[in-house]
Amino acid sequence: MSNLSFHEKSAIGTLIAIWVIGILYFHSAWELWQAGQLQPASNFGLAAGLTVLLVIVLIAYHILIAVTAKPEEEDERDRVIAWRAGRIGGFILAFGVIGIVVQILLGGMFDDPLAGSPVLIANALMAVVFIATVLELVMTLIFYRRGI
Amino acid sequence: MGGSKLDNRVRALRGARDQMTQQALADAVGVSRQTIIAIEQGRYSPSLEVALKIAQAFGEPVDRVFWFSQS
Repeated sequence: MSNLSFHEKSAIGTLIAIWVIGILYFHSAWELWQAGQLQPASNFGLAAGLTVLLVIVLIAYHILIAVTAKPEEEDERDRVIAWRAGRIGGFILAFGVIGIVVQILLGGMFDDPLAGSPVLIANALMAVVFIATVLELVMTLIFYRRGI
Repeated sequence: MGGSKLDNRVRALRGARDQMTQQALADAVGVSRQTIIAIEQGRYSPSLEVALKIAQAFGEPVDRVFWFSQS
């Protein structure tokens, strides 16, 4: 890890934390849905609890990498990588949100359960945010390793 | 410029300057050591500003540090 920049270490830790907590969230939501207990209150509690856990994990991780290696100022390469990876993540996010909007509108005409369920819509949007964020972080790491 | 790639002799110039460290060059230019490593390995093409600062750090014209080569 000593040859990695602060920003690269940050991206690795953030990716692992988001991946693990995201999978935990969607697995728990799926279990609740299968049991017929995925209600707005329980879903909100699950999402809020895991979001707080994610924030705590990320703060602890960034403190750890800051004390083990001097934090560096962002330079032009970090900014270019963040911009390019962010563009890809933003494209996935926009594509996913538009897909869900189309699904809701079309589903409303054909009694699709997604269209009539705020909890399912919320989880579909969360999945899109999760996928976009994971892909953005994966692209960030690819750009750092493979070059841009 | 299709098919051309930005090449450089940053590593050779560091060696010629009493083994100037990557960190010393990074500090002189105002980028991270990892960015100097990426430039030396051809994984990152620096901006004109950074290319000029690197050339200035070696006291060389920029076209003697960076040039296009056919990939």
